Amino acid sequence: MSSRTIWILGYTAAALMMTVVLATARGVAANPPQAATTEVKIDNFSFGPATLTIAPGTTVTWINRDDIPHTVVSTDSVFKSKVLDTDEKFSFTFTRAGTYPYFCSIHPKMTATVVVR
Amino acid sequence: MHEGFLGTAAPRYADLILLLELTMGLGLLFGAFLAGIRKFRAHAWCQSVIVLMNAASIVLFMLPSFRSHVSPRIPLKLGKSFYALAAAHAALGTVVECAALYILLAAGTTLMPEKVRLVRYRLWMRTVLAAWWVVILLGVATYARWYIPNLFRR
Repeated sequence: MSSRTIWILGYTAAALMMTVVLATARGVAANPPQAATTEVKIDNFSFGPATLTIAPGTTVTWINRDDIPHTVVSTDSVFKSKVLDTDEKFSFTFTRAGTYPYFCSIHPKMTATVVVR
Repeated sequence: MHEGFLGTAAPRYADLILLLELTMGLGLLFGAFLAGIRKFRAHAWCQSVIVLMNAASIVLFMLPSFRSHVSPRIPLKLGKSFYALAAAHAALGTVVECAALYILLAAGTTLMPEKVRLVRYRLWMRTVLAAWWVVILLGVATYARWYIPNLFRR
């Protein structure tokens, strides 16, 4: 095998490897690992769903679709939102397994639970 | 946070304050009746106790609630009925409570300088009593807007 052939094969192999590396990198960039998120709707003086089961690391977003302000306050003081007007949101990421009951501090009859497992 | 007992979505303290304010409003009317039958000492005691109780309920319950739920949204959201009602109730209520305390000091003590003492007691007292009831009605409207589901929904 002449030295010229060796050079050509070498360049070809290098080009193939670069192509594979770039393609993989683009694939990774196009599909970055996404954190799990889920939504709880506040409407008609209730949280929906009333019981939400999620995996650790999931971010829960509460969105107020009611025409009156509400809050989202953990019974165990784990999280607490400010007063949420119509269409305002509050998010919290649950990192530890457990049961997290919460309520609206303006309307204490409004209660719900997030279960992380 | 405890649930209320009036069957609305209100917390217990809001239900208690609502009943207390209505009772105090009726108490002031009774106090005015006492003045009408010339029992002035009983009238003075009745009105004084109610005005001071109201001052305490403002400081202990209404002011903290207003500061956490309403004042952060003023003046930006005053166009919304639940903030507008609460703000009107708070503003007029503050003026009326101050006026009532002034009447207590001016009519019941010699603490006020002579220049600022009241001359036409009856007019002042009746005006403040009428304004007090306007504040109560604003308070009832605020309670209804914040705590009764679907009352204002179309």
